[in-house]
Amino acid sequence: MASVALSEAEKVYIVHGVQEDLRVDGRGCEDYRCAEVETDVVSNTSGSARVKLGHTDILVGVKAEMGTPKLERPDEGYLEFFVDCSANATPEFEGRGGDDLGTEIANALYRIFNNRGSIDLTSLCISPREHCWILYVDVLLLECGGNLFDAISIAVKAALFNTSIPKVRVLEDEEGSKDIELSDDPYDCIRLNVENVPCIITLSKIGYRHVVDATLQEEACSLASLLVSVTSKGVLTCLRKVGKGSLDPESIFEMMETGKRVGKVLHASLQTILQKEENLGPKRQKVGFLG
Amino acid sequence: MPGDHRRIRGPEESQPPSLYALRSGPDNDGGDDDDGEGRAAGPRDPSRLRPVYARAGLLSQAKGSAYLEAGSTKVLCAVSGPRPVEGERAGAAAGSAGGRLLCDFRRAPFSGPRRRRPAGAAGGGGGGAEERELALAMQEALEPAVRLGRYPRAQLEVSALLLEDGGSALAAALTAAALALADAGVEMYDLVVGCALSRGPGPDAAWQLDPTRREEERAAAGLTVALMPVLNQVAGLLGSGEASATESWADAVRLGLEGCQRLYPVLQQCLLKAVRRRGGASPETAAAAAPALAAAADADGESPAAAPVAAEPVA
Repeated sequence: MASVALSEAEKVYIVHGVQEDLRVDGRGCEDYRCAEVETDVVSNTSGSARVKLGHTDILVGVKAEMGTPKLERPDEGYLEFFVDCSANATPEFEGRGGDDLGTEIANALYRIFNNRGSIDLTSLCISPREHCWILYVDVLLLECGGNLFDAISIAVKAALFNTSIPKVRVLEDEEGSKDIELSDDPYDCIRLNVENVPCIITLSKIGYRHVVDATLQEEACSLASLLVSVTSKGVLTCLRKVGKGSLDPESIFEMMETGKRVGKVLHASLQTILQKEENLGPKRQKVGFLG
Repeated sequence: MPGDHRRIRGPEESQPPSLYALRSGPDNDGGDDDDGEGRAAGPRDPSRLRPVYARAGLLSQAKGSAYLEAGSTKVLCAVSGPRPVEGERAGAAAGSAGGRLLCDFRRAPFSGPRRRRPAGAAGGGGGGAEERELALAMQEALEPAVRLGRYPRAQLEVSALLLEDGGSALAAALTAAALALADAGVEMYDLVVGCALSRGPGPDAAWQLDPTRREEERAAAGLTVALMPVLNQVAGLLGSGEASATESWADAVRLGLEGCQRLYPVLQQCLLKAVRRRGGASPETAAAAAPALAAAADADGESPAAAPVAAEPVA
């Protein structure tokens, strides 16, 4: 994981600040940094989103391709995740340096999406046992500024919201052979229902308190953090401890409560922003990477 | 190309039908594993733990090793090191104060009902990512317990091999790894005890401790907790599943921690036995490993039946 070197004095300064509910950048313990979300930024994808959370910059592209369903789930499509930690983010990621972090994040994404409730996979099925849509979700880390998991999960949710998959129909003739017909209208698309897609909230334990959305400096002060994935209704679907330290049982329960509270607010604001952007329609001025 | 009539043209890939029969069939076919758990009628006690058998120090070539059996889950774990960090990582390790703990989790190809392609074989297979995730979970759960600061510029290697998966594999691997580390004489703050839980489908299903593989397959949610029992600190937590309220997860964690506390005496006894066995061979080694266990020995002498759930069949 990308990290910064902090002196003891700097760490003490941050820890004491957190104790007083005042962080280095002026936030309280349960405040997120200002997040910028833009969808439909890459034209070659079925759906894409870019999220900037402080100095963390994430680009997610979703590409839909046709494939065969998995044997265990013949009437469902599936999602594939890949996280690319490019050396642009941190020199540490050069070569194979970012692979471990990439698989770790991808596994976390598989874990939260490997859940019946999070997304309706049956809508990705074209004809059971034969054809389904596979959504390749590719995550690119452009800049690392702490709190990667949260930013990535927001970006993935935004990109899935933005995803439109062309509608296809299966025609069967008398002899039983099947034909796949693509709709003529390019705007005739399936949109995914992302209402239940959870977001990851990372709660970093600093001193006796925990903070959400830690910056790199704060992450360096935190020994252990709890990763929870929360849906828009405020229910937890995933729970994981990360980091070298251990946690007190009581603080885990507190952190889960905080995660639930913060998660609900995060989902509500993300949903309004996405809806607003969607309503602007195709004439929206795109900011892209020059913003 | 003309067809060859003598050859039967089957599909390129095939799957044994028994896998599907097991999944959809009723519970009556469950006698082959899980202690006949599949036949058990009615709901079981949610806080029952399967009998645990643990033995430390059984591999001669490893610095420390442990074998743990919980129900039909069988894990073998070995520790090697500390040894100097080699390769390109040396520079990175020198920057941090302590040593590194490397964990490896492997499933034997025959551990489950379906043969898994080994990770090293060509093609890889889908198992690799899951194994890596569990290895990382192990590393994150063991790191708080090991005094890595005492091993500067060194690395400790922990490898767990799952011989048979009868459910709660990660929890068993964690416990075995902690035993192996202690057996290797690695300085630790506390042992790590792992415990798994699962919750069946349905809105009002309750969490059950130590699920069998069958229960895990059916489960809507699963959780593994790792506890350092003396310090009462949660070393690891990994769980996911269908949405449930925060209180439900909190209850699950509590139940899991309680399970870990109940397993702890068994592990103490196991370590003690290992030290005594080794003590016969070389008193110095036993003395080196003994201080950490002295307290355990006292507690143990007072209450030999400290483990109410876990029987240790072999003397």
